[in-house]
Amino acid sequence: MSALTTLTKTQIKVFAREPMGIFFGLVFPALLLFVIGVVFPGATDPTPDLGNQRLVDIYAPVAIALGLATVAVSILPATLGTDRERGILKRLSTTPVHPRTLVVAHLTVQLLVATIASVAAILVGALVFDIDLPQDPAWFVISFFLAAAALLGLGLLIGALVPTANSGQSFGMILYFPLLFFAGVYIPLQVMPEGVRTVSEYTPAGAAVQSLAGAWAGSGPDTSSLIVMATYAVVTVVLAAWWFRWE
Amino acid sequence: MTVIDVKGLTKTYGDVTVVDDVSFSVEEGEIFAMLGPNGAGKTTTVESIAGLRSPDSGTIRVLDLDPLADRAELRKHLGIQLQESRFQDRIRVREVLEVFASFYPDPLDSQPLLDRLGLNGKEGALYSELSGGQQQRLSIAAALVGRPRVVILDELTTGLDPRARRTTWGLIQELRDDGVTVILVTHFMEEAEKLADRVALIDGGRLVALDTPRGLVEGLGLEQQIRFRTPATLAESSLAALPEVTGVQRRDGEIVVTGTERALFSVVSFLAEQEIVPDRLSVDQATLDDAFLSLTGRNLTDLETEERS
Repeated sequence: MSALTTLTKTQIKVFAREPMGIFFGLVFPALLLFVIGVVFPGATDPTPDLGNQRLVDIYAPVAIALGLATVAVSILPATLGTDRERGILKRLSTTPVHPRTLVVAHLTVQLLVATIASVAAILVGALVFDIDLPQDPAWFVISFFLAAAALLGLGLLIGALVPTANSGQSFGMILYFPLLFFAGVYIPLQVMPEGVRTVSEYTPAGAAVQSLAGAWAGSGPDTSSLIVMATYAVVTVVLAAWWFRWE
Repeated sequence: MTVIDVKGLTKTYGDVTVVDDVSFSVEEGEIFAMLGPNGAGKTTTVESIAGLRSPDSGTIRVLDLDPLADRAELRKHLGIQLQESRFQDRIRVREVLEVFASFYPDPLDSQPLLDRLGLNGKEGALYSELSGGQQQRLSIAAALVGRPRVVILDELTTGLDPRARRTTWGLIQELRDDGVTVILVTHFMEEAEKLADRVALIDGGRLVALDTPRGLVEGLGLEQQIRFRTPATLAESSLAALPEVTGVQRRDGEIVVTGTERALFSVVSFLAEQEIVPDRLSVDQATLDDAFLSLTGRNLTDLETEERS
């Protein structure tokens, strides 16, 4: 088996042994959607203030962006900080395999986790709250992977520099909560002031929600969100590759 | 066959020259120890050999390869256990070896390797469940699984209890017997003395001496002390007249004879002739510690004690 395959399989197992990672990475998005739908009165009724949408419909793409943001900025930087703190990256650079192979393995695992979490959220939405499946599957998948690239790129950039797991966790959290805010996790984007919504459109999480929501409703690609996400992805990955410290 | 050849290695960080014109070579199948206090430049030297540092000047050849230019080729043949390198808490012992084995074309079977390192029965244990000694031995296993021709072990037994230390030493000797060349970085005098075929004494970035452990001690003409007690009256002057003896002192009822390596035999013969049976006879051999002290004016054991306190 190749080094990348072995590293990825092993890191899947290591991830699966971390209860916090399982909860926040895998379960939280579907759970959020479920709780919103069950707890908030009228969450499953069309609401005039929300443009006659149901609250659960609005939260479905938000849950997916939340899942991506969680693995990307709350889990990935701490994971990379651990690898650096424990000298794992440095040790790998003494073997025939470049330590970036481990970084690629982590990214693969986090993408896989976010994908499963998203499918779970979509299924909970469909089965419990009768939310339609994404109407424009191709654009939905493209939006998802661009959102993943933008957010994981951001996490990679933090993880490129943090010396320890703790600093990875801390810097991740500094970005995590604002990202959740601009994704509309605390209050829906639809009821935010115009100015805040504009800012949101230029954050990777806000752009992710916009473009996922558009593809979900079948209203075609939201070009400006896709451009925002692609820009984040390219800039963060280039900077992370430039700055990445192996020890 | 020369496996490692270092010539004039110098490395400076800012104003500090951490490695200063160090030259030595290591032969195939040798255990070569680099002994010196922390901060002496040992780690920088071996990291340069491993291609992790670029020297400011000097040349290094390992297996006839340049560690920086031929990095990719060299890494197939080099196994390195770095100081303070650890694994993830939730990775299992077996998985660490599977991962490292996947890096090499013809890896060792992990089970015999684990057995040999005393980690049998721990295959399914998480890294965080291992004792410090077991973690260290797993780290060594990872350095060996690719069948390296050269192994670098940095502070191999630091933090291990005496029993784990001896087990690990046994393993290093087996490696040498298999024809593997071992570079051992240590600040434990005893480790270098017990294990190494040759010892490089390093202090302040400089190579102060290089020889077999025995050669280092003998070459400096360091003396041994023979101590004993006896109720009999002893003609100290005739003892002192023996050619191998350089001094006789009486301290707290104990007679302390200093002399060359051969003094013990002549002292014991002398006592036998006089029909004196010595009580509590003991011999203090000069150690690498004494050699280090005599070469640098500093005491390795004291340096270790300072670090711990």
